[in-house]
Amino acid sequence: LLDLILALSGGLIGGLVVAMMPRAGNRIRSITVSAFSILTIVFSWRVALKVFGGESVRLAGEIGGLSWSLDPDPLGAVFGLIASTLWLFAAVYSFGYMSGKHNQRAYYTFFLISLSMTLGVAFSGNLVALYLFYELLTFSTYPLVIHERSPEAVKAGSKYIIYNLSGAGAILIGIVVTYSWAGNLNFSYGPILAESQGQGLNWLLLLFVAGFGVKSAIMPLHRWLPSAMAAPTPVSALLHAVAVVYSGAYGILRVVYSVFGHELVRSLNILNIIPWIIAFTILAGVIIAVKQDVLKRRLAYQTISHISYILLGAFTLQPWGLAGAVMHMICYSALKITLFFCAGIIAEKTGQIKVSGMEGIGWALPGTMVAFSIGALGMVGMLPLSTFWGKYYLMKGSIEGGIWPMALVLIGSGIINAVCFIPLIIKAFRGKRLQSTPEMESRFTVMLAPTLTLTAVSIIIGLIPGVVWPGVQAVVDWFF
Amino acid sequence: MLLVLLIIIPIIGALFSCFSRNRTINVPFITSAIVFMMTTFGLKGVFMGEPITYRIPLSGPFVPTFRADPLSVIFVILAAFLWLVVSIYAPKYMKHEGKYKLFDICTLVTLAAVLGVFMAGDMLTLLLFFELMTLASYFWVIHQWNRNAIKAGNFYLFYSITGGLILALGIVLLGTVLGGLPAIGTGSIVYLDSKVSGWGIALLVVGFGIKAGMAPLHIWLPHAHSAAPTPGSALLSGLLIKVGAYGLIRVGEFAGWGMVLESGYGWFGLLLVVVGICTMLTGVLAALLQSNAKRLLAYHSVSQMGYVILGLGLGLYLGSEGGLGLMGSIYHIVNHALFKTALFLGVGIIYINTGETNLYKLGGLWRRFPITAVLMLLAALGITGAPGLNGYASKTVLHHAVSMAAESGTPLMVWAERLFVVVGIGTAASFAKLYYLMFLGKPTKLKISNNRALSMKWAIGLLALVMVTIGLFPRLLLNVAVIPAAGYLGLKNAADTLAHISFWNSKDLLSMFVTLIAGVLVCWAGLRSGVFHWNIPAWLTLEGLSNMVRQGFSALWRIGVVLCRNAVSAIAAASKKAVTKLFLVERRFKKAGGGRIGWVTLTGIGADAALLIGALVILIVWYTLINPSLPGVKLPTFMTLFKIF
Repeated sequence: LLDLILALSGGLIGGLVVAMMPRAGNRIRSITVSAFSILTIVFSWRVALKVFGGESVRLAGEIGGLSWSLDPDPLGAVFGLIASTLWLFAAVYSFGYMSGKHNQRAYYTFFLISLSMTLGVAFSGNLVALYLFYELLTFSTYPLVIHERSPEAVKAGSKYIIYNLSGAGAILIGIVVTYSWAGNLNFSYGPILAESQGQGLNWLLLLFVAGFGVKSAIMPLHRWLPSAMAAPTPVSALLHAVAVVYSGAYGILRVVYSVFGHELVRSLNILNIIPWIIAFTILAGVIIAVKQDVLKRRLAYQTISHISYILLGAFTLQPWGLAGAVMHMICYSALKITLFFCAGIIAEKTGQIKVSGMEGIGWALPGTMVAFSIGALGMVGMLPLSTFWGKYYLMKGSIEGGIWPMALVLIGSGIINAVCFIPLIIKAFRGKRLQSTPEMESRFTVMLAPTLTLTAVSIIIGLIPGVVWPGVQAVVDWFF
Repeated sequence: MLLVLLIIIPIIGALFSCFSRNRTINVPFITSAIVFMMTTFGLKGVFMGEPITYRIPLSGPFVPTFRADPLSVIFVILAAFLWLVVSIYAPKYMKHEGKYKLFDICTLVTLAAVLGVFMAGDMLTLLLFFELMTLASYFWVIHQWNRNAIKAGNFYLFYSITGGLILALGIVLLGTVLGGLPAIGTGSIVYLDSKVSGWGIALLVVGFGIKAGMAPLHIWLPHAHSAAPTPGSALLSGLLIKVGAYGLIRVGEFAGWGMVLESGYGWFGLLLVVVGICTMLTGVLAALLQSNAKRLLAYHSVSQMGYVILGLGLGLYLGSEGGLGLMGSIYHIVNHALFKTALFLGVGIIYINTGETNLYKLGGLWRRFPITAVLMLLAALGITGAPGLNGYASKTVLHHAVSMAAESGTPLMVWAERLFVVVGIGTAASFAKLYYLMFLGKPTKLKISNNRALSMKWAIGLLALVMVTIGLFPRLLLNVAVIPAAGYLGLKNAADTLAHISFWNSKDLLSMFVTLIAGVLVCWAGLRSGVFHWNIPAWLTLEGLSNMVRQGFSALWRIGVVLCRNAVSAIAAASKKAVTKLFLVERRFKKAGGGRIGWVTLTGIGADAALLIGALVILIVWYTLINPSLPGVKLPTFMTLFKIF
């Protein structure tokens, strides 16, 4: 229990500590931030191990007559592990990226606080807690989005808040309706709505999907994500490719498997429509990405496409599909964050944010471009890389779930991903050789180290998927 | 354990050459020599007895499994031998091209990947090494790093990526049918009882077909094979496309060699026959029109892979009598690997001495390169199927298979036999052209440097030696390796079917001589009439066609995007207008405590209340429309759509 509290509050306390050190130098601040990140990782590992071992770690209470509870199950534990582990990498990357930038204190404060909120989303045991942390995540990341204070960033921030709060409103209505039908909001006793029936459930599911779909950027509701790329790169990498969008996807997984239950969802008519919306998002997102010239926007649209893989896995309602979704969650996050890191290094080193101006940068930044190429191949889903396994099990799930066109959609998306990245990589190694200061300058070493580590980890997972399989297995066993 | 060791050795070699500064030792040569020794001595027992299996002790969903049965050992030894030969040849050649270090590393990684593909024990392990092979050999194609090479590389990479993804889906489908990972070489047969298994097999065929250069998926092949530096092209054409053929043989295993009629894949064999014939014809016709020596050879790779695919198709089509087709294919794979490598290496020698691969600018080179000319003559005769060389042996077996199918009298098979002969003549004609333009004819005006590269000639000589040996003793390889392989794949009567064939009968010999002479005549006619200079109109080539289709699609796409954008902006404008109007109305209502909307006059009511009433009215109408309780009112069909909710 103490582990759970410490894991949750690690980020929060760390954020406050950083906030209270106005005069601290870079070094001390970096040490504080990494210390608290590592602490969080340690305790979330302890929580996760207990959860995988079958123990229950539960913390409950009541605010204003509503009971909330924190009660991680395997899915939450997996999400918590992904978030806390990648947070450390992003923190290390930030030390390099942010050095010499303005207002670092605010940056690191909110950076750590949002870690707490993400873990809160992950470890929540009922819909009230989930909703609470989900909203708090929106608010604690808002300062990071507008960190640059440019007009563009402020506009992006407003868009971010408006979209996400409307989504949260939809979720709130959904929660009220669920409570009035089931009289209970806890995940731990099996699906909440398992006993209910009626046509209204279709609407309820649609409401939930639309609500969480804002954060996970389903296609008509995705507009906030590309504009939120105005944030500093580590934030875009972590929040808008991993934590925030994942909390949306996690919410949908929760709704499908804990609120409705896969058996109930399978009987709903709306299941004829939702996979097609998701398929549309998968294809349209990546097709729009091909047309983008700003690298970060290209990555953002690609994120939109790839988050929908997870939703697709959720809606196959098959053990293999769920395994694919969880696998994709684990593997994709590491590679996507790598791609963002590379984009950040390129922007910082050469000042180039546009794809059209990337000629010759490969010679100046060989390590970065190698990491970028590996990440790009991962997006395609080629075998030595971990994302293949997500794709493989998603295809298996969609075949077994009887929605075979989705398997073709996945293949098509893989090919378009190749179209999206490979010309870029080739371009980076063409033209005049860009001469610049060596890549291994101290600041850039700090940025490059987490990037290369993550690539190596992805290759290892790709060759030996057994490394992460116990977690995936636990999630599948929990729900099926 | 030996199997994993075989894959690790080239990777160690690659690491070694990655970190070594100078190039005093030929790392690829030493590595491939070790691999060749280990395969010939370590795996020889597989032909006699049991296959070797090794599972890497790991837990989880994917446990790489390795397995060596007779078929894989044939391919492994072939690969090791070719790598050995090419690494004798490469150092001298790569001095000319530059960037030898990158080339060495890629060569060794590709060797590891190829060995992995051949020794994989389940489809996912195979796919793993297959993708690794694609990535490593991609660096061969883009070695020169100019516009041409990059274009070829893009072709190669995109086709291969698509192929890999399609293979993954095929594996998923087969896995669904079999209820587990599809294992290789265990004789697990997928009976054709559902759509899933049929599509699974078909997708695997497409996936491996892309690698094997099966028409119409061969477009990448001539580009990639002619853009790579010559040792790379030699291995690409000599071995890497055989990986596709190897995959096809393994897919045939799921369809069941020797028992197709029971498992329901007769159509599959027929399809492969048709595709094989098309591939042979496309390759040979395109090859006749080429002026670049390397492109000519690359198109011949397509055409010869057509022979292999045809043989596989016949093997499946004839069922338990199909041994000839399968064995002919395996045999032809080995032979083609030998002579195609030799041809590429020979052209490479000419290229580094003259700097030219355009045939019409070369000529009369036999004076300057007598040894190369003799060796090339052997290789060219080998590929055209002259008796006494290895091409004759495998083409005879394949020809017997076609004749056997044609005896059944199906018009398709009768035509297959006729076209088989036509393709033979075309092959002879295009190699007569290559040889005439390169070594005979008018002496070239190009400046010729005289690189006395003995090691390069040794490499080709080694290949020629093996070719002549096989050609003179055609039964040797068949008895030692091919028959056990076919037997292991499920054709128990393989030896009996071969026993009827005598390689040195007058009929076959005569027909081969006729083919050769006809080929030379065609070549003479073509050169005199200038037909070989004919530029094919774009709409006739696959590339032109696909370009046209692509342009059509992109035009449609642009129209669609414009329409969508207009629609979205129109909706946005309309909604903005409506909202503004609403605000205006509300203000008016607030001021006057009421007002008019259209023809309805409302007094004493707020605008929000009016809106609510409006919404309620719409809802009521909606519900009455979709839930008609009145008898006799029938719901319009489109309304049932809304009733889902």
